[in-house]
Amino acid sequence: MSYNKARSIKNYSFLLLFIFLGSAGYAQEEQQETPQPYKKKVLEKTEIEFLSSYYIQEGENAAVSGGIGDEHLTDITPTFIVSVPLNEDDVLTIDAGISAYTSASSSNINPFDGNDSANPFQASSGASSSDVWAGLNASYSHSSEDRNNIWTGKLSAATEYDYFSIGFGGSYTRLFNEKNTEISINTNIFLDTWKLIYPIELRGDNSGNFNINRYFITGNPNYSPQFTGFNDKKRNSYALGASFSQILSKKLQGLISVDVVRQEGLLSMPFQRVYFKDISDSFIEEFHLADDVERLPDTRNKLALGANLNYYINEFLVLRTHYRYYTDDWGIDSHTAKIELPVKIGHGFTIYPSYRYYTQTQADYFAPYNEHLSTEKYYTSDYDLSEFNANQYGIGVNYTDIFTKFHIWRFGMKSIDLEYNRYDRNTSFNANIFAVSFKFIQD
Amino acid sequence: MKKIIGIACIILALQSCTVVKEYEKVALSDPDMVLSPRSIEKFKTSFHAYRESASGAVGGKTGGGCGCN
Repeated sequence: MSYNKARSIKNYSFLLLFIFLGSAGYAQEEQQETPQPYKKKVLEKTEIEFLSSYYIQEGENAAVSGGIGDEHLTDITPTFIVSVPLNEDDVLTIDAGISAYTSASSSNINPFDGNDSANPFQASSGASSSDVWAGLNASYSHSSEDRNNIWTGKLSAATEYDYFSIGFGGSYTRLFNEKNTEISINTNIFLDTWKLIYPIELRGDNSGNFNINRYFITGNPNYSPQFTGFNDKKRNSYALGASFSQILSKKLQGLISVDVVRQEGLLSMPFQRVYFKDISDSFIEEFHLADDVERLPDTRNKLALGANLNYYINEFLVLRTHYRYYTDDWGIDSHTAKIELPVKIGHGFTIYPSYRYYTQTQADYFAPYNEHLSTEKYYTSDYDLSEFNANQYGIGVNYTDIFTKFHIWRFGMKSIDLEYNRYDRNTSFNANIFAVSFKFIQD
Repeated sequence: MKKIIGIACIILALQSCTVVKEYEKVALSDPDMVLSPRSIEKFKTSFHAYRESASGAVGGKTGGGCGCN
């Protein structure tokens, strides 16, 4: 990460914190002006949580270079979540963060940076080697007098160099059976707009620093891809979900949830190359020039069914389990299973060992590097759409101070969380994720 | 798969006849008994949405708004 980017992240972080603290104080002042008879609030005091993660991945199946190439990527994501009680019944929550990443595969959208020999396993130093994603989510929830009905409205916005998204949604939750049963429905709509960025050799305008005529082409020297750009820059996602949770005994509770999603528009990534085995290969230096970019259908329907079951074994041990089945009309079926065993070791500390298993079948349109035919209608060599299974091992630790003894300004620290996870696919891909969280409560 | 969901629904329906009173929810009120993911897990959920085809039914992104699958 460059010095400028680091400074930019720092500035964003301070700005966000300033806005949130200001809004929290304003809300509290308003409450003081209009005293009300005491009623227990849904949220007693303003809560601020600062979270961050550091993510690093490795692999040799980069989608940008058609299924081969360096997937090295690092990502750091400072985030704030602020929950403000506006009155006894209403809570405003703001979740804002940025994600700053560097990516070897994205850098090879233009591998011809003039430094080292162009190669899919060598990161380029071009403009697309790093980027910053920024996102803001706001939700407003209102609870009924008896706390058995909860309405929530949500707004979100996210931006990155090559896309902008706005989203909105809402949910309704109903508790009954003496709060033993809870039913919830929710809906979300995301309207995304993409900036179409193609592999440098397919842009055809020889603009900027790249002019293909200046390079010596090996293999098939008559490189002439039949490439046409995308017309659609929009991607709309419509999600509808429902969940049913039930207390099953004094120590056992479960949840079943379903999400149905329809996506329309540009579902292909315009910078991900595809190579056809029935077209002669052309190279500049050691880099295979694209025959086309991935082409995927402009609709996708998804269905996910999930179940959670938590059991309180004793005062030291809880068992948390999760299972999910997923299917979509691109031919992908997937199963996810997770188990977590929080262990309370005393003095406010809890340890969270976890294991997660994931498996999926490949999309109908996937084939590895140089295996597609030019006669196919849809094609991709993105290994995220391939058949694979993955194991994830995690360990976390939480420290909770119920007395909030440690203070920063008007806020007492309630908890600290640290977590590490290791993710291994049965392909070349693996990832490490470190995360930290500090939660504060207003005095 | 249908059998698993069917059995789970039956178990939940049968068990829902038993009501646990508020004063009996000491164990259920343990923070680790919450059925939703902990906030620190949001990064993992986000990473999974990018690197895996499946999404949804875990409280995170289901597609859209993230430049992911």
